[in-house]
Amino acid sequence: MQMQRAVNFAKHALRQFWRGLREWCGDAAYERYLRAKGRPDAERRTLTAQEFYIEQINRRYSRPNRCC
Amino acid sequence: MRGVLKFVAWLCVAMAGAGALAKVAFDRGEALNATWFVVAAVCCYLVAYRLYSAFVAARLLSLDDTRATPAEIHDDGRDFVPTNKWVLFGHHFAAIAGPGPLVGPTLAAQFGYLPGTLWLIAGAALAGCVQDFIILFCSIRRDGKTLGQMAREEVSARGGFIAQIAVLAIMVILLAVVALVVVNALKSSPWGTFTLAMTIPIALLLGVYLRFIRPGRVLEASLFGVALVLFAVVAGQWVAASPSWARAFTLGGTALAFLIIAYGFAAAVLPVWLLLAPRDYLSAFIKTGAILSLAAGILFVRPHMMMPPLTRFIDGSGPVFAGKIFPFCFITIACGAISGFHSLISSGTTPKMILRESHARVIGYGAMLLESFVGVMAMVAASAMPPGVYFAINSPASIVGGTPEAAAATISSWGYHLDAGTMTNLAHAVGEQTLLNRAGGAPSLAVGMAQIFSSTIGGDRLLSIWYHFAIMFEALFILTVLDAGTRVGRFMVHELGGRVWKPLARTGWMPGILISSAIIVGMWGYFLYQGVVDPLGGINSLWPLFGIANQLLAAVALVVATTILLKMKRLRWIWVTLVPMVWLVAVTMTASYQKIFDANPNLGFLSKANSLAAQIASGQILAAKMAETQRLIFNQRLDAAVTGVLALMILVLLVEALVQWFLILSGRREAILHEAPYVATQWTRGFTGTAHGDD
Repeated sequence: MQMQRAVNFAKHALRQFWRGLREWCGDAAYERYLRAKGRPDAERRTLTAQEFYIEQINRRYSRPNRCC
Repeated sequence: MRGVLKFVAWLCVAMAGAGALAKVAFDRGEALNATWFVVAAVCCYLVAYRLYSAFVAARLLSLDDTRATPAEIHDDGRDFVPTNKWVLFGHHFAAIAGPGPLVGPTLAAQFGYLPGTLWLIAGAALAGCVQDFIILFCSIRRDGKTLGQMAREEVSARGGFIAQIAVLAIMVILLAVVALVVVNALKSSPWGTFTLAMTIPIALLLGVYLRFIRPGRVLEASLFGVALVLFAVVAGQWVAASPSWARAFTLGGTALAFLIIAYGFAAAVLPVWLLLAPRDYLSAFIKTGAILSLAAGILFVRPHMMMPPLTRFIDGSGPVFAGKIFPFCFITIACGAISGFHSLISSGTTPKMILRESHARVIGYGAMLLESFVGVMAMVAASAMPPGVYFAINSPASIVGGTPEAAAATISSWGYHLDAGTMTNLAHAVGEQTLLNRAGGAPSLAVGMAQIFSSTIGGDRLLSIWYHFAIMFEALFILTVLDAGTRVGRFMVHELGGRVWKPLARTGWMPGILISSAIIVGMWGYFLYQGVVDPLGGINSLWPLFGIANQLLAAVALVVATTILLKMKRLRWIWVTLVPMVWLVAVTMTASYQKIFDANPNLGFLSKANSLAAQIASGQILAAKMAETQRLIFNQRLDAAVTGVLALMILVLLVEALVQWFLILSGRREAILHEAPYVATQWTRGFTGTAHGDD
């Protein structure tokens, strides 16, 4: 029973870590975009993964995002 | 009962911190173990976070979790993305932690380990973290507005303009000085140059993969890229061992400077997906891994501090940079204690992603504490090597001599014993031709890190691999700062230049892109070249200039924060931002004055220019050296002018803010806050940002 609980805990922790890592490095950014609730109504067409990736990095690297 | 136990536990942490700090400060016995530094720093951080940040959060800012943040209100999946607290902590930390907290403490170790360590801990807890936290809060309450926009709205239009110019100034000097650190780390080093050069094709490969093959799959691409970079580090030794290849990758300072300038221009002009973004992904992974490894290595090896707590150079005669502890220790260590640049991140991406107001405490205050810890680790790594070796690596040839024998004689005469053979053997052990005169902090930090890593894994056999891993890690993320900064600088030139000549404001117009890129690269490239040809190594004059510019920006941020607190009627607690602001103004103004007017030619720009001019007038300069000397005189005067303009901007901003505060306090002007209107959150209390169905 305790063994099972430990395994479940380890699985949960690993899943959380994996999810956090994907969020942190930007891997999950497109999934986030698809789920975003506040996308402007005017934007009729959902961007493809490729279009979103280009648009996102163009915006990110046009303002200070890496410090000294 | 639980309350009593908690109190006792925190009392123990506080006492452990105070005890360890007292040991670091007052122990003059045998070489101190690094464990004391780690305990002192960690306990102080814990107490500062538990008490001071809680006080700021509750009394000053009244963080309100019932209020919807910009991420919740807009949630567009692009800029405004509700993000889990710890993921955003990682984002924010990766954004604020650059080369500054590694290079600054390494340079400041010339005073001994004590002044820098105390400033890193106290400065972060009382100033740097407070700045980051409050600016983040202010930006969250204003829909994610930038520092410049907040300065314009809350202080004055002129305040906003000064913030904009300060950002551009800091950008130019920052890029020049970090590029100089890379040049000094790579000159005459075929192994290091090859490894860093290889990161460019690796980044291009990743760029194509992420653009065309698996768009946006950053994790798999980055892990593949990191493996290739690590292979390039190992392969570098084969290049260094091959006479023909080694010759191709052995470059002098000037050649490296021009290559880096060309790289910066290319990175600003080429599409972001091709080079800049993939390099940034690589850098983020390697940076995080290397910092965690360094922390683990220090805890495992627990090295002893070979550097004394205070050196003879507290009198201002240091070979690495001139000037006394006050103000130059506080200028040299900017990032790690307080860095104005952080306010751009705290009012940039982070406020648009924060889930709840209360998260600002751990993200704003906590991430800066972690950066300060990185600074303490850099100080430990630099102080763990014999002081003679440290000074031989970091001192320019014009002070200690260009040969191992001359350097050993000079440094030994200062009281820090050094054998000529020590430097030759060390250079051989790390796979370099020489380690002498490598001012800039990167090589000495790499030696310190390599010694710690090799004591953990591999022993002396792997010392050269670890050294070049450390050099690659530093150079890689310095180049990331360089290319990302050049691109951002290009946009600033578009914006400012567009006021003078309208077509320049068009960011998609190719001639405009080329012109604005050339302007920004030309500006930092000039300072870089000036540093490379400077007989004193360049770092001597450029790093203090960078520190002054960075602290200027911090002063701007603290003026904005103080004005906002005043308008929020927090007069009783205004000292929280006012005291660090006054301290920064005092430090920056003193440093500026000394750098411009000090009579010592090693310290004062103008006296150096005058002394060179006098040498020309008295015929001491050979005709062949005349043009070079004239250029040196011009550079010294240019540096004096830049410092003067920075100091003047602080004064103008200060007067502007004082007038504003006087009008508000005397009731002649209404204190109007430009906060976004209150919107109640729709999220439940337990929502952590991962409830969108991420599984």
